[in-house]
Amino acid sequence: MYQTVVGLEIHIHLNTKTKAFCGCQAEFGDEPNSNVCPVCLGYPGVLPVLNEEALNQAYVVARALDCSLSKRTLFDRKNYFYPDMPKNYQITQFHDPVGRDGSIQFLSPDGTVKAVRIHDVHLEEDAGKMIHAGDMSLCDYNRAGYSLLEVVTEPDLTSGEDAEAFLLSFQRLVRYLGVSDGNMDEGSMKCDTNVSIRKAGEPLGTKIEVKNLNSTRFIKKAIEFESKRQATALDGGQKLVQETRLWNENRDVTESMRTKEGSLDYRYFPEPDIPPFVPDAAFFQAIEKRQVELPLARRKRLTEAFQLSREQADFVTEGRFVADFFESAAKAAGGGPTAGLAIANWLMGDVQKELNHFGLSLETSPLTADRLAKLQILLDSGRIHIKIAKQLLDAVFEEKKDPEVLLKEKGWEAITTEEQLSPIVDQVFAKNANVVEAVKAGDVRQKGYLVGQVMQATGGRASPALVNALLAKKL
Amino acid sequence: MSAPATAWKQFQSKKKAYLDYAGPWEKKIGSFLTFRPEADPVPGLGAGPLSGLPFGVKDNIAVEGFPLTCGSKMLANVVSPYDATVVARLKAAGAFVIGKTNLDEFGMGSSTDNSALGKTHNPWDIARVAGGSSGGSAAAVAAGLVPFALGTDTGGSVRQPAAFCGVYGFKPTYGVLSRYGLTAYASSLETPGVLSADLDLVRWVFDTCKGRDVHDQTSLDAEALPPKAVKTIAVLSDLADLDPEVKAVYEHTLSVLKDLGYALLPVTLPTLEYAVPSYYTIAMAEASANLARFNGIRYGHRPVYAENPEHLVRQSRTAGFGDEVKTRIMVGTYVLRSGFQDQFYTKAQKVRTLIRRDLQSVFDRADLLLSPAFPTPPFVHGDASMNDFQQKLADKFTVTANLAGVPALAFPAGLAEGLPIGMQFTAPAFGEARLFEAAAAFAARVPVVPCPGTSLDWSK
Repeated sequence: MYQTVVGLEIHIHLNTKTKAFCGCQAEFGDEPNSNVCPVCLGYPGVLPVLNEEALNQAYVVARALDCSLSKRTLFDRKNYFYPDMPKNYQITQFHDPVGRDGSIQFLSPDGTVKAVRIHDVHLEEDAGKMIHAGDMSLCDYNRAGYSLLEVVTEPDLTSGEDAEAFLLSFQRLVRYLGVSDGNMDEGSMKCDTNVSIRKAGEPLGTKIEVKNLNSTRFIKKAIEFESKRQATALDGGQKLVQETRLWNENRDVTESMRTKEGSLDYRYFPEPDIPPFVPDAAFFQAIEKRQVELPLARRKRLTEAFQLSREQADFVTEGRFVADFFESAAKAAGGGPTAGLAIANWLMGDVQKELNHFGLSLETSPLTADRLAKLQILLDSGRIHIKIAKQLLDAVFEEKKDPEVLLKEKGWEAITTEEQLSPIVDQVFAKNANVVEAVKAGDVRQKGYLVGQVMQATGGRASPALVNALLAKKL
Repeated sequence: MSAPATAWKQFQSKKKAYLDYAGPWEKKIGSFLTFRPEADPVPGLGAGPLSGLPFGVKDNIAVEGFPLTCGSKMLANVVSPYDATVVARLKAAGAFVIGKTNLDEFGMGSSTDNSALGKTHNPWDIARVAGGSSGGSAAAVAAGLVPFALGTDTGGSVRQPAAFCGVYGFKPTYGVLSRYGLTAYASSLETPGVLSADLDLVRWVFDTCKGRDVHDQTSLDAEALPPKAVKTIAVLSDLADLDPEVKAVYEHTLSVLKDLGYALLPVTLPTLEYAVPSYYTIAMAEASANLARFNGIRYGHRPVYAENPEHLVRQSRTAGFGDEVKTRIMVGTYVLRSGFQDQFYTKAQKVRTLIRRDLQSVFDRADLLLSPAFPTPPFVHGDASMNDFQQKLADKFTVTANLAGVPALAFPAGLAEGLPIGMQFTAPAFGEARLFEAAAAFAARVPVVPCPGTSLDWSK
C-alpha cells in the first residue's frame, strides 16, 4: 500500500490598488492593454519601483503562516522567454524571500487538526495573458506586473481530500487577512501541486508536478488520479521520471507536459534595480498590527464559547465578516451559548432566506449585527413572538430601520397582559356567541376556533398561552 | 558663466550660421543618428546657465518624441514615449535636445564601430574611431556641434571616447544620476554621464540632473563629501602596457601635478588585473537579462511572417542584434547557468568587493587616484591589433570606477602626434567636487586644445 505525498505551490494576487512595480491600476476584466505603461510593457530604459503595500501584505501573510521573517529581503530575476512576459524575466524572490520555515494548521475532513509546514513565502510579479485565435496570437498585458504572492508548502499533505481542505482553509486565511479575494475562478488564486507516492518508511518517491488546476475540486481529483497512476506504474515495474503534467479537466486525467531534462534553467540572479529592503522596528510593528485571529483559532474559540455544532461553526467562521457579525451579535444578544445558538440559527436560516430574496450579501444588507441582536432581545424578552420576529426581520430588510423603531411604527408589540387581551376576547365572544354557547355546552373541539379568532384579531401579537388561559377563564 | 556657454546662448538667433558650420562637420564625422537642429527650447524655462542651450543625447537614453535606437536594427523604428529623468531635468532647466548621438549597439564596444545604424569618425582624424560606446556624443562635442552631450558609462563608455576626442568625460557616483530612461545594459554598473569641452558645463549639468528620482530606486541624493582641498593624488606604481604616446602624456601630467603642489603617492591596486574579467562577467550576465525584453512582440524589429510566437521571437532576435550583442548575451547566459554561477558570476561579484576595498584603502591615504583613461591613443577603424578582445582588456583603467560605483573624470591632458590623450581622476563615492577641482587646476596650467577646424565663430 502506498502513501500519497503532496506539496503545494499557491499563488495569490495581492489586494494592491496598483501593480507591483509601476503605478498602473491592478483591475480585473478591463479592456485588453488598457492598464499598461512603459514600465509594465518593458520599454527600453524603464525601471521597476516596488509597491510598498505589496511588500507589507507579503510580510502579513508570512507572519500569519508563522514564518521567520526576512530582515533583509532581496529580489531576483528569473529568466525565461514567454511572449506574455514583457521583460522575459520575472522579478521574484529566490535567495531572500519575505518568509521561510513557517507552519499552519488546518481542519482535515476526518475531523482532526493537521499542520502543514511552509517552505517559503515570496513576492513576485504576474505575467500577461496570451490568447490564440485562429492563426493569430494576441497578448493582453493588463495582468502583467500584478503583485503575486507565492506560498510553497513542504510535502506534508497526504491525500487529495486534505489538499482541498487545506487550500480552502488557506483561502479563508488570506480573506481574513484582507490581502486577497482568493478567488480561483477569476485567477486571483492558483495552485500547482507536487505529488509522489511511497511505501511506509521509505524515502520520498519521484515528484510529479501537476499544473493547470483551476479549482480546489480539480486539485483533489488530480492528486487522486496521480496517486493511482503512479501506483499502477510502479506495480507494473515501471520507473517514474520527474516531470511536469497538465490536468485535463475534460477527461479527468493528467498528461505529460515536459520531463526534467526539458526543464528550464532560470538562471536566477539578484535584481540590480531594486535595492535590498531592510524593514525597521516600525515596519514589523505595523505587520503585527495587521494580524488577525486565524480562522481555525477563531473557530475553536467560538465553538467553545457558544457550543456550536460543527455545521454551525463552519458557517459562522467561513468569512471574517460573518464571523465578526456573528460574534458581535451573539455578544450583544447576551453572550451565552443560548444567544450564540439563536444568532447562528438566524444567520443560517431566515437571514439567509432574506439575503437570497433581496439578492444581497451580509456585507451589503441593511441587517447589522446590532439589529439582529436587538431582534433576538425583543424575542427573548417576550415583547414579540417568533412569527412577529420573522416579520420584523423582513421589515428591516424592506425599510432599513432598527427593529425597535419598526416595532413601534407597525404596532406589532406583543399583547402580554389580560387587561390588554380581555376586551379583544369579549369582542370575539360577542361576534361568535353561538360558538361560545356550544363550547360552554361541552363541545371543546370548537374552542380552537375561538383561539384562532382571537389570534387573528390581535394580528398574532398575543401569546397562545395567554389566549388559552384567558379563554379558559372566560368560558 | 563660462565663455562657451555664453556663446551657445546665441544658438537660436544664429541658426543659419550654425547650420553652415555644423552641416559639413556632421557630414564628416557622423556623430548623430537623429539630428534636429531646427528644434527650439520651450520658452521661459530655467534662468540658469543651461537655459537656452542645445544638447545631444546618446541614443540609448530616452527623449520623448525622438527615436531610441540604441544603435541597433532591433530598435531602429522605436520612438520613445517618455523622457529619461536626466533629460527631463535638463529640459526643466531650459536646455533642449537637438539630436541623438551614435553609439556601439546597446553600449557594447569601445569604438562606436559596433553601431548598426551609422559610422562615426574621430573629428581629430576621421580615419580613427571616436571611441565608445558614447562615441557620437564625444565626437559631436569635440567638433563643436553641441556644448555638451549626455552619454552612458558602463565600463568607461563616457570617459574613453572623451579621452579619444580631447574633451571631458564625467561619470558620477553610482545612483546620483537617475538611470530611469537609460536603456539598461549592465544595471549595477552603468550611469548617465556628461561630455563637454567646458568643465563648468559638466559641473552645471551634473548639478542640474543629480539627486534622488522616484522612478529609480537605486538613485540617491548626492551627499557630497565634506569639502576638502585636494592635496594627495595616488598614482599607480605598477603601470605597464601603456602605448608610448600615452606614457609620455601620463608622465607629463605627473610633473604638472607635482608642479601644482600636489603630493603624489605611489600605490598598487593588486586586484586591477582581475577587474576586466570581473567586469565583463557581471556586465554580460546582466545584459543577458536586460536585453531579453527585445523580442519583436511589443515594439522593435520583427519578421514579416512567423509560424508562431516562439518563431517570431527567434527571428526578431536573430536579425535584430549584431554579433557583439549576441556574443555578450550568450556569454552572459553561460555564466549564469545553475551550477556554474559560483565559478563565474558569484566569483566576479567577490572580486568586485575586493576591488572596492582596494580602492577604499587608496582613498584612505589619498584624495584622488590618477591613471590614464585608456592605454592607447585613438586607434584607426578596423585596427587588427585592437580587436574586440584587445579592446576589452584595455578597459582596465575605467572599469574599476564602475565596479566600485565611484565617480571618475577623464580630462584632456595633452596631444601626442596630433591626437588627444586623456587622463582620468577617480574619487571616492560622492567626491565629485574633488574631480572638478583638480581638473580645473590642471586645465589652468595645461589648457584644453580644441580640435583643429572647430570654432564658435558662428555665434559671433
